[in-house]
Amino acid sequence: MSEASVIHDIGYQRYTGRRLGRTAVFSAIYVHGIRAAFGLGRSAKSKIFPWLVAGIVLLVAVIVAAVRSQTGVVVFNYIQFADSMSWLVIFFVAIIAPELVSRDMRSGVLPLYFSRPLRAADYIGAKFVALASAVWLLLGVPQLVMFVGAAFTTKTGMKGVWNELGDLLPGWAYSLLWAVVFASISLLIASLTGKRAFAAAGIVATFLMTTPVVGVLSILPSSTAQHLAGLASPMSLISGIGTWLIPSANAGFPVDRFGPVYGIEAFTLIAGCLLLLLARYRKVASL
Amino acid sequence: MSTLELQNVSRWYGNVVAVNDISLNLGPGVTGLLGPNGAGKTTVLHMMAGFLNPSRGTVTIDGKPTWRNPAVYRDLGLVNEREAVHGFLTAYEFVLASAKMHKLPDAPGAARRALELVEMTDAQDRRIETYSKGMRQRTRVAAALVHAPQVLLLDEPFNGMDPRQRMHMMTLLHSLGDQGHTILFSSHILEEVEQVSGTVQVIVAGRLAASGDYRKIRRLMTNRPHVFAVQSSDDRQLAVALIGETSVSGVEIANTGLTVRAADYGSFTRALPRIALDRGIRLRKLLPSDESLESVFSYLLEA
Amino acid sequence: MTTVAYITARGLFGRRRVLLLLPLPLLLVGLAALCRSYNVNPADWGVPVLTALGLAVVLPVTALIVGTGVLGSEVDDGTIVHILTKPMPRSNIILAKLGVAVGVTAVTAAVPLFIAGTMADSVRLGLALAAGAAIGACAYTAFFLMLSLLTRRPVLLGLVYILVWEGLLGRFVSGTRVLSIEQYVIAISDKIAPTDLLTGRVSLPVAIVMSSIFVIGGTLLAIDRLRSFSMAGETS
Repeated sequence: MSEASVIHDIGYQRYTGRRLGRTAVFSAIYVHGIRAAFGLGRSAKSKIFPWLVAGIVLLVAVIVAAVRSQTGVVVFNYIQFADSMSWLVIFFVAIIAPELVSRDMRSGVLPLYFSRPLRAADYIGAKFVALASAVWLLLGVPQLVMFVGAAFTTKTGMKGVWNELGDLLPGWAYSLLWAVVFASISLLIASLTGKRAFAAAGIVATFLMTTPVVGVLSILPSSTAQHLAGLASPMSLISGIGTWLIPSANAGFPVDRFGPVYGIEAFTLIAGCLLLLLARYRKVASL
Repeated sequence: MSTLELQNVSRWYGNVVAVNDISLNLGPGVTGLLGPNGAGKTTVLHMMAGFLNPSRGTVTIDGKPTWRNPAVYRDLGLVNEREAVHGFLTAYEFVLASAKMHKLPDAPGAARRALELVEMTDAQDRRIETYSKGMRQRTRVAAALVHAPQVLLLDEPFNGMDPRQRMHMMTLLHSLGDQGHTILFSSHILEEVEQVSGTVQVIVAGRLAASGDYRKIRRLMTNRPHVFAVQSSDDRQLAVALIGETSVSGVEIANTGLTVRAADYGSFTRALPRIALDRGIRLRKLLPSDESLESVFSYLLEA
Repeated sequence: MTTVAYITARGLFGRRRVLLLLPLPLLLVGLAALCRSYNVNPADWGVPVLTALGLAVVLPVTALIVGTGVLGSEVDDGTIVHILTKPMPRSNIILAKLGVAVGVTAVTAAVPLFIAGTMADSVRLGLALAAGAAIGACAYTAFFLMLSLLTRRPVLLGLVYILVWEGLLGRFVSGTRVLSIEQYVIAISDKIAPTDLLTGRVSLPVAIVMSSIFVIGGTLLAIDRLRSFSMAGETS
């Protein structure tokens, strides 16, 4: 029993092959986020809420398209459609943002995530893009349905379809704006707590709180205040930008010459939320 | 003096049977509830504690059912497996609240005594969220003991305790058992069960595989030959003589002595001294080498 | 029973979570003060502030956070076991928790509503709103407390109730108003201090009866469910 002790190499080997880069990491988290948002690859219970909301929005779009094809009456155009679905979008992000972010915090997997070559910016970025994509799909697909309905029943042939497309594209851009603003705000709120229920309640409360503020500010005697009232709530903020950039769409919030102010605020809001998120995830150990 | 009785208790969830027709009777003293993970120990404990109703059968303490009967908690204490405690309370406040909810006449006194019993008096005024795992465990045991219940149920109580705390808890359980309390604790760590109590209830895959003293259970397993380690002054001669005995099914000779497999425990133990005496062989060591709880347990699992 | 109330209250206030309850009332009072200082006609700002913010948001959301928090968080993390393994009638436990929840919700919602109502119209309106809020607090908290025992995701269902049932459908489908606590509150407050600022859409008798049903029914159902509270096998 006096041989030298030795540990034999029976298979644990360092991996020396090709490694995928940052894009692969980003897209992995992105795909996972989208799937988690819609409950794909998960139990039936996690599919209920998102698909319920998506179903309602789709139903409304189908009804609008049907009404338009039958009677030619335009109930909503693409922009107004997005505005009227505001509460459903709030509900949607209130469910999904906690699913993406709070779950990771509560189950303690963040140290696992970040002990790999994953940067906080990539993590946040991928989750943000995933949530924004989900919201955009929520609004964009029904808008597409409306487009298809209108395009197939247009009476002016190719020109009609082309016009319709010209309306759809700004509509999609508008939905994108909705997606980006709502995603950034709700992700920030959701990242404040590990309990999904509280995050959801917090998101809803935050969005609901701001609407009456707009109502109040818009009846203050000063006309500046009335025009700037829309800044107080994300919904009217987006609506205001819509009025500014797409005047033909009657988005509903009169902004006069303050359009650029709305644009600046939207941009600052999104950037601010993302930066705060980044700051929050810098120190993973404390989460 | 309280008896905890399960009669033909079954519990199923849809198609999955978690507990399959278990009948047992627990009297005073310490009993270990043993079983592999997923065997149904926690389910049985929850049914005993009134937190789950049996799909069939009855669970009673002194004849009174435990389900939907809050009065039963006067004589029952439960220490759960989950660590959850109200973290914002101090240990003293927590045990005091427990005492008050039991409507004890001298709640502060009872609380202090319970904390002394588990050796938590030093840290009792710090908030529970600052405690280590073992301290939290002991606090929960104190809260369960504060009303001196006749029956005490503990689910994996030694989880997270260091050896010294474990010994202390074992001594505590022993003394409570000797005083006449009925104590049931579940574990899958065999050494602990061996040290605390000889009486076990073994649950395997939802069924009660064996109950009683584990050494006696071993002897009941007649289809497995008992294994003995024997050392003597003349091993080879002893081996030759032993192999001629009908109760012996195998002998192995090694440098360290003999390993004898005996199918019949009783006859072998009577035959061995006689053989040794007849041949003038001096026996130095005779040890049953598979009477440990571990071997009993693994035999039960394989069966 | 007082011990349970004590633990519940400490659990509610001992965490940072309680700060969540502050922004809503502060916002309510702040907006009212703003309008008052600009001498805006109360007829204009009464509805958005008192109804849209106060009764439609501050009251239900506070009730949701508190009502699901008093029992739901203990069920969630398993500490409910320590309360249940005591020879206390389950009704005592529920009533104690309900009492704490109603108290906190009522104060958080009624006080700012009283202030805002007084600023909008008169002390009478303030008192009417406060009374309505108190009754609404009872109904909402009983309902949400019951939800936290019936389902594993009570906050989400509560949000569906507030957003979809009361918010969306209540606006468009008149039938749902009969089951909307917000409407009962408005009807009751309107009756105590009739004003154009509050438009009740359900009659007073219906409001009173339905509120009582919510409170009593919710409490009884919660007590029964707590009696049959069960925990499955390994840590769940």
